[in-house]
Amino acid sequence: MATQKKIVQAQLDGVTFDGTVPFSNGLIERYTLQNGLSVIVLVDKSAPTVSYFTWYRVGSRHEKPGKTGLAHLFEHLMFNETESLKAGEFDRKLEENGAETNAATWVDWTYYYESLPSDRLGLAVQMESDRMAHLVLRDPQVTSEKEVVANERRFRVDDDVEGAASEILYKAAFDKHPYHWPTIGWMEDINNFSPDDCAAFYKTFYAPNNATVIVVGDVKTKDVIAKIADAYGKLAAARIPAEDYQHDPPQQAERRVVLMKQTPTPKLIIGYHGPALGDAEHVPLSLLVEIMFGGRASRVHRSLAIDLEIATDLRGWVSTFRDPGLIEMYGTAREGKTAEEILSALDEQISKARDELVTDDELARAKARLELSLLRSLETAAGKAEQIGFYATVLGDPAGAFARLEAYRRATASDLRIAARRYFVDNARTIVVVTPELEAEEEKAEESAAQ
Amino acid sequence: MTTQRLDTKDGTVVFLEESHALPLVTITIATRSGAAHDPPEKTGLARVSTRLLMRGCEGADARKIEETLDGLGAEAAEEVSHASVALGAQGIVRNVDALVDLLSRILGAPLFAEAEVARLVREMDADLLEVRDDDRSLAERALRKAIFGDHIFGRVTTRASLAKITREDVRGFHAKHFNKKNIVVAFAGDVTPDQSRALAEKLVSRLPTGEAIADPTPEPIEKTGRRLVFVDKPERTQTQIFLGALGTSAKDDDHFSLLAADAILGGSFTSRLMREVRSKRGWSYGASSRLDVARRRHWFLAHTFPAAADAAPCIALELDLIENYAAKGISARELSFIKKFLVRSYAFEIDTASKRVHQALDIEIMDWPADYHSGYVAKIKAVELGAANVAVKARIHPENLAIVMVGTAAQILDKVKAAIPNLASTDVIPFDTV
Repeated sequence: MATQKKIVQAQLDGVTFDGTVPFSNGLIERYTLQNGLSVIVLVDKSAPTVSYFTWYRVGSRHEKPGKTGLAHLFEHLMFNETESLKAGEFDRKLEENGAETNAATWVDWTYYYESLPSDRLGLAVQMESDRMAHLVLRDPQVTSEKEVVANERRFRVDDDVEGAASEILYKAAFDKHPYHWPTIGWMEDINNFSPDDCAAFYKTFYAPNNATVIVVGDVKTKDVIAKIADAYGKLAAARIPAEDYQHDPPQQAERRVVLMKQTPTPKLIIGYHGPALGDAEHVPLSLLVEIMFGGRASRVHRSLAIDLEIATDLRGWVSTFRDPGLIEMYGTAREGKTAEEILSALDEQISKARDELVTDDELARAKARLELSLLRSLETAAGKAEQIGFYATVLGDPAGAFARLEAYRRATASDLRIAARRYFVDNARTIVVVTPELEAEEEKAEESAAQ
Repeated sequence: MTTQRLDTKDGTVVFLEESHALPLVTITIATRSGAAHDPPEKTGLARVSTRLLMRGCEGADARKIEETLDGLGAEAAEEVSHASVALGAQGIVRNVDALVDLLSRILGAPLFAEAEVARLVREMDADLLEVRDDDRSLAERALRKAIFGDHIFGRVTTRASLAKITREDVRGFHAKHFNKKNIVVAFAGDVTPDQSRALAEKLVSRLPTGEAIADPTPEPIEKTGRRLVFVDKPERTQTQIFLGALGTSAKDDDHFSLLAADAILGGSFTSRLMREVRSKRGWSYGASSRLDVARRRHWFLAHTFPAAADAAPCIALELDLIENYAAKGISARELSFIKKFLVRSYAFEIDTASKRVHQALDIEIMDWPADYHSGYVAKIKAVELGAANVAVKARIHPENLAIVMVGTAAQILDKVKAAIPNLASTDVIPFDTV
């Protein structure tokens, strides 16, 4: 391996070899182009395919009020016209070559990917480098994609009970920090974007020095680096502006929001302010939330769904954001049960987490479940590339998934209780209660009758 | 790697797809018979019975099973179709012996405790109630009835059918369907043939020999006329729309021709539906068509989810597109393109050991031609334009479509009806009765 890397370096001006990192049973190799583009390669010969991910360090946190949803709109616009490709040709060329392609946006990042037969790697390199610098942003494509995104918002938020509640949770829990607004954007903002807004955003954030390319599959590193250097080497770096946002002051009092929805039963979402992904306590908190919510044997499921039979669909997770996010807890009431009953039972479990140590058996089970979850995510080249890209982008560590696995193994019951005491602070939580509209109308009618 | 066959000494069919890329193993135990055997008034019995396997067995109650699986770094879930029920488990390979020991007891010595039966029925009842939040699921439930009527494929589990299921029904289902001849076992992942043979013997050791069970499903019959089924739900800003009819069978001579043609209509991101509905007009986030393949002819569906204001013109456009598709077929250029797409993207149908072994399971259980998967690429390459267009005309009948949607009737029903030429019938169904 060392010989090959030296050859690659020697042959390609403008490419710096940054080192290797073990990943599963392979070895990640890292390179940087002179224009700042990071490249990560993992050779994986388990299938004759290659996955090509481009992670941009831009997400909804980089937007401004009034322009929310712009980062996500790009997830659509980037599949349109470039200076050398007519609208529709991007997808057509990739499909003609058997590619799967898609994209995702969240608060801290946006990624685009192609998974192709491995002999088609060159096409992905060519097309991703093209749209990194030569996207055409004009009507009617911008207007049409705004319509598509508005429809996506209806489907994910406006007509979706959990989507609507989740949006309100973050809106209520954060005032100043950009996590306040949804990644898909407010509907009014989506409708008001102009091609000029898009062009300014593109010029600011879509540049080689704001991106990491991850290539995983049945490839030769030397060939990958040569192709990438050739396609991207001439692209200019951009001046990425310093982030300009404020953190919220510590929340001092519980916040509650009631949301009326067309839904058969009440729902409850609780959000405690949590750690950033890179904070040391993210690991013990994730283990604790796994013990509380992971699977049917978890504490919360066993208590609320099986023993008390007051809830169904119970879930909890710690947001995996670059800045401190939320520890979310979600529950759906059984027919005839209330959100207050769920809250009361959840509070018992939260108190228990703060007051008592988890058992050795609980901790061992949570560790095994999270190990399984990681292994499952690595079954395909795309799965590996996504894990590498996520940790490289958010934490700067492409093998962060395995570092995290090691951290899980080291965590103790005491670590979990300390984390619970620090983060399960009731004054610093936000609660969204979803009330069925029919139920609300009946209560109003009863109140009127009583008056 | 080729899928290996390692049958047990008593004749249980066992497949292995070996892969040592990750320290994981996936184990699937699938029956040759499934929900088609549910009594109509007890639809849901196959799912209840299979799910109950995990709720107690010799030496372990439900809680013990769940904790043991977690401790082993394993997960298990059931999969239920009309043709088969399957218990699938995936786990970290270092614990595979303990996992198989547990699965062996789950399969061969389930408890089916009365309290667990009642508890599961209550859980599933609660889940059914929550389906009312999911407009797409509501539409799909109504669609089954609209396309298949009283046929087995038209049945859906209801709160009433769940309530009728008893412990004796569950015990009867298990006794009938779980035997050595009626199950097929598949291993995928970090295990060797010798290991798999031994694990398979252990896995089935508590089951009776039994016999394979025949499928009672008749061929479905096409319904005629354009029928609108409108699932009425308040306050919808968006609709869910399905246009559907009978589709294809794996045994049809024109099966692969129709698969290729359908991919042109709605099976890719550059398909006709996607281009016209999403790219040109921005009406729907998704626009697709598909042909489901089962043991009998299943459905052809086109699916969109436009805003309420765009629902009527979107249906009119889709009807135009399907009429044009049936009347004029596809072009040589389109066929050439889609063949490249389907052939080259086939690599992603077989890029994991689990996917490869499931292809072997399909052939063994679904009664499809033996070369259905292995010959896929060659058969797609061999599709000819004339044959594809004959297949489209023969199988897709725009005059006999069911149009099933979820929306708010007071807002859009009249416009939707006006957008459907030759509409034969209209049913408006309250969403909480679907």
